Amino acid sequence: MELTYQINKDVIEISETVMETDVEFEIRVLAEDKWAGMKKIQKFFEEDRVYTDVLFYAYENHRFRVIVRKDYYVDFILALMKYRLVESAVWS
Amino acid sequence: MEQQAIWAIGIFLVIYALIISEKIHRTIVAMIGGLLMVGLGIVDQETALHHIDFNTLGLLIGMMIIVSITADTGLFKFIAIWAAKKSKGNPVSILIALALITAVASAFLDNVTTVLLMVPVTFSITRQLRVPPIPFLLTQIIASNVGGTATLIGDPPNIMIGSAVKELTFMSFISNLAPIAVIVLIVYVPIFILLFRKQIQTTPALTKSIMDMDEKELIADSKLLRKCLAVLGLTILGFFLHQSLHLESATVALAGAFILLLLTGEHMMETAFTKVEWTTIFFFVGLFVLVSGLVETGVIAKLAAQAIELTNGDPVATSLLILWLSAIASAFLDNIPFVATMIPMIQEMGNMGVSNLEPLWWSLALGACLGGNGSLIGASANLIVAGMAGKEGHPIKFMKYLKYGFPLMILSIVISSFYVYFRYLM
Repeated sequence: MELTYQINKDVIEISETVMETDVEFEIRVLAEDKWAGMKKIQKFFEEDRVYTDVLFYAYENHRFRVIVRKDYYVDFILALMKYRLVESAVWS
Repeated sequence: MEQQAIWAIGIFLVIYALIISEKIHRTIVAMIGGLLMVGLGIVDQETALHHIDFNTLGLLIGMMIIVSITADTGLFKFIAIWAAKKSKGNPVSILIALALITAVASAFLDNVTTVLLMVPVTFSITRQLRVPPIPFLLTQIIASNVGGTATLIGDPPNIMIGSAVKELTFMSFISNLAPIAVIVLIVYVPIFILLFRKQIQTTPALTKSIMDMDEKELIADSKLLRKCLAVLGLTILGFFLHQSLHLESATVALAGAFILLLLTGEHMMETAFTKVEWTTIFFFVGLFVLVSGLVETGVIAKLAAQAIELTNGDPVATSLLILWLSAIASAFLDNIPFVATMIPMIQEMGNMGVSNLEPLWWSLALGACLGGNGSLIGASANLIVAGMAGKEGHPIKFMKYLKYGFPLMILSIVISSFYVYFRYLM
């Protein structure tokens, strides 16, 4: 089973690259009101007990590069879902 | 030997063996040892309390509170990424920059706190560059122990020595130990480059990804950061001036901590207090009482007499004996109980007529702090980094560490031997 998700292109731009042990996301938050949500996700993963689960790299213009360990892929997508940065997620 | 002294030695040896075996948490073991000393009447409660060095405890608690609040601002991540960008994203330059940041931070914060702050950001940078984190972690362990040697507040052995010997001020630690710490680091840097440069190659694209980062985004709370920097600056200034102000270092650290809590508000207090390492604090309490049993029964005085007999009271031989013994012992044993035992022994040597104790104190500090680099179990910071690395799938094995750490530790003790000899004994 694979988790797929849908986004609102007015809210966020996401692209994924699958690597050997992780998935790299290029993310740009377009909606100003969703930026706080993204920062909360960053804070959540930075303060949990696993240091390399989800790593955030901030760039200008609300852009993020996020390296997600494959075993934390679902956790990350669900965190995006929680803060409505993705619209829906389904197992397919 | 009196019956009480035999009991004290027996309890001390059993407790020491249990601490080394790591079968039971060292804090529980040390506290039980201390309680046995009181419970069996080897020292009475009043004397035991008198032996607990509240200056060491207050200094540790104060600094832990200040650092825990400052860490929440994102300052340490900001510094690491800023340094990585200044290094043009070059992994070798970043390795050296992070090691130097660790050394400087360890001089003013305790080593464990420093590595707890540095390791997560190291994982982050190395993952982005797709280079193995182990060379970075090894150099940071080694740098933290060298940096911690430089000041009174850098490493628990120095805190304990500074607290026990009132003449050794914050400034005297800096003027006597910072030069040798800098020399050792200068010698280590080219060795680090030679040892690790081939293991940490990256691509221009990944280098660029570091250069494009916006480190300002890492500052989580700039208002809180300003308050923390002001208090941290004042606290460090207070350490420099503590003797002129007739204040103990613990008073300075606790004043800093509670002024910061006053400025940040009550809501930070609960979190800050939960981040104080109470296990370390009680470990110290147990140890102070445990060693008091040896002091009060005259065991330490006997050991000091034997050490003087062994070296004929010769200051060169005594200093070098303490330096090398402390280094080898600290490489394989916890340096905190070792120093707790050595302090009363050196004080006793003073009572027995050894006139110049200064080289002995610096030898003890250098041996105990730098000796921590000798093996993976030599210092708490080493174990903390190894634990964090292992949890993230990058185990640092005992033998792998020993291959790098032990020769580097021996090199630093050789340099320190010359330093102690030429500076204090010639």
